[in-house]
Amino acid sequence: MVLEATMICIDNSEWMRNGDYAPFRFQAQADAVNLICGAKTQSNPENTVGILTMAGKGVRVLVTPTSDLGKILACMHGLEIGGEMNLAAGIQVAQLALKHRQNKKQQQRIIVFAGSTVKHDKKLLEMIGRKLKKNSVALDIVNFGEEDEAKTEKLEALLAAVNNNDTSHIVHVPAGPSALSDVLISTPIFTGDGEGGSGFAAAAAAAAAGGVSGFDFGVDPNLDPELALALRVSMEEERARQEAAAKKASGDAAKQEKGGEGQSSSQDATMTDRASVGTSEAENKSSDFMDDENALLQQALAMSMDEPASSDDIRDTDMSEATDPELALALQMSVQEGGKDSGSEKDMSKLLADQSFVSSILASLPGVDPNDPSVKDLLASMQNQSEPDQKKNEDKPPKEEEK
Amino acid sequence: MACLHDHSCEDHDCSSGWTLYEHIDLPKVSALNEAVPGSVKSVFKAWEQRLNSSGLKFKRLLIEIQFRNKKAHWSYFLLQGHLESNEGDPELLVYIPFTSDVKIKSISVVGGVDGTSPSKMRAFINKEGIDFSDAQGMQAVQEWDLVENFQGTLEYQTRYSKFQNVASITLHFPNSFGGDTTKIEYIGFKGEATKLKRDVVATIVYELRPNPSDHKTKAEGGGLSHVE
Repeated sequence: MVLEATMICIDNSEWMRNGDYAPFRFQAQADAVNLICGAKTQSNPENTVGILTMAGKGVRVLVTPTSDLGKILACMHGLEIGGEMNLAAGIQVAQLALKHRQNKKQQQRIIVFAGSTVKHDKKLLEMIGRKLKKNSVALDIVNFGEEDEAKTEKLEALLAAVNNNDTSHIVHVPAGPSALSDVLISTPIFTGDGEGGSGFAAAAAAAAAGGVSGFDFGVDPNLDPELALALRVSMEEERARQEAAAKKASGDAAKQEKGGEGQSSSQDATMTDRASVGTSEAENKSSDFMDDENALLQQALAMSMDEPASSDDIRDTDMSEATDPELALALQMSVQEGGKDSGSEKDMSKLLADQSFVSSILASLPGVDPNDPSVKDLLASMQNQSEPDQKKNEDKPPKEEEK
Repeated sequence: MACLHDHSCEDHDCSSGWTLYEHIDLPKVSALNEAVPGSVKSVFKAWEQRLNSSGLKFKRLLIEIQFRNKKAHWSYFLLQGHLESNEGDPELLVYIPFTSDVKIKSISVVGGVDGTSPSKMRAFINKEGIDFSDAQGMQAVQEWDLVENFQGTLEYQTRYSKFQNVASITLHFPNSFGGDTTKIEYIGFKGEATKLKRDVVATIVYELRPNPSDHKTKAEGGGLSHVE
C-alpha cells in the first residue's frame, strides 16, 4: 500500500507491429498497461498514474499523473504506431512529469516498456540511472519484443545504476504462448516490492490460470483484503492451537462447550469488525486479542470433535437433560420401603452425594424448606449414609409437615 | 560533562541552547542521495551525544520504523549511526520539518573525517519537495562556507530575521572537502520554538449559487439585497 506516483512509458515504435506477442506487440503492451494502472490505483486510492509515449514524432505525455482510471484507459485508444523509440528522452520526461506531481508525499516510480532496440550507449543510460537514484525515483523495466544481447546488457546496466535497495526491477518477457500481461502479474512490478502480494495480483493470477477462483473462505481478497487476511490469520492460529486445546478438552464441562459455541459466533463478528477497521499495526494487536479469545473457541471446536466423553460428561449430561426422571426415582424410593438394587443404591448414593442436586429436589418437594436447620443437618448426614438412614430422613420431613 | 571546548564551561551549560532537536518531526525527516535510506534520522540527537555515532535510541526508533514498513534492513541500521551520501557523489539534501514553527539562531554541523565533511551549506525555508535541480537553481535563504569541525564546537549563525517562522528547513550540502562521499554525524539547531503550527486549511465550503438569505443587509430587512 505504498503511496506512489507512477509514470508509464509506452513504446509505440514501428517494431510494435510485429505479431510474436498475441495479437500483436502493441496490443499486448496496451493490455499490460491497463492491468498495471488498475493494480496501482487499487492498491492505494491516492496513487496516481500517468502515461507517455516514447516514439512517434517525439516523446509525448498523454496523461499527467492522475488517479482517474477512466481517463487513463481512455487515452490508450487511438494511439498510433510509428517512428523510433527514444528511451533516454522518455525517461527524462517521465522524471520531469513526476517532479511536478501534485502530492509531494508520493514515492516516484517509472515503468518502461522497452520493445525495440536501444540506440543509446551504456554510459548515457548509466548516467540517467544515477540521476534517478539520486532523486530517489524507482524504475521498473519490461524487456520484451526485440531480443538483442546489447539491449539486454544496456538495460541491466541501467537497472544496476538506478537500483536502491531493490526498489527497481527488470523483467524479461520472451515471445511465447502466454500473454505479456499474464507473465507480468507474477512479477514484482505488480506485487510491488514484496509486500506480500496485492490481492489484485492474486485474484488476477487465479483468473488467468483459468481455474475456479481459489479464494479461501469464500471471500474475495479483491473486495475485502483485510477480511480475507484476518480470516487467514485466524485459521492459521487455530491450526497451531488445536493440539493444545485437545488436551484441555477432557476436563471441561458441557456448559463451557455450549457457552463457547455461543460466544464463537459473536467472536467471529467482532474479529471481522476489527479487521475491517485495522491497519497493519492493528492487525498485530488483534492477533494478540485473537490469541486470548480464540482459546475458548479452540476448546469449543476441540470438544465438538472429541467424541468419547468422560464419565464426568455422562453424569453432567444426565443431570442437565434428565432431572425429572431422577426426581421421580427419588420419590419412588421414598415410597418404597423394601430393599433396593445395589445398582439403584449406587445411583441414589451418587445422587444424594451431590448437595446441590439434593437441595434442588428438596426445594421442589412441597412443605420442605431447605433452609430449615434440621433439613440442613439431614443433608449433611445423608452424604455417606445407607438405606435405613435414608428412610429415617424421609420420615422426618413428613413429620415436619405435620408440625 | 565534557564539552571538549577550549574554554571553561563552568559558567554556562553548553548544551542548554541546543534543544531544538526535540521539535523536529523525526518520522518525516528525509534526505536525497543518502547511501542507506533512513540513516538521515540518526544525525538529530541531543547535543551531548553529538559525537556518539552508534546512536542506540536511534537504532530502536529506526527498527520500529523499518518493521512497520516491513523492510529487513535492521542489520544495516545497527551499524549506521550517521548520514552518508552515495559513492562518488558528495551532494546531499536534507529536509527537516518541525512539529511547530521555530526560530533558528544558529546551526552546528559535525562532518566526517578524511575530507568527507561538507564544505558548504545552503538553507531553504518552508519549501517542501525540493530536489537537486531545484536546489541548484534556487537562491538559498542563506549560505555558509563550512570548516572541518569534528568536535561539534562551531556554530554557524543565521540571519535571525529571516529564520523567524520556520516550519521546515532544507539543507543542501553541494560539496565535500575532497572526499568521495559526504558524511554527516550530527546536525544541531539552536533557537526557540513557538507554539504555532502551520496547518492546511481543512474544511472549505464552496457555494455553487449564492444564497440570498446569506446576503441580507440590515437596512433592507426582509427584502433581497441589491447588487450593483
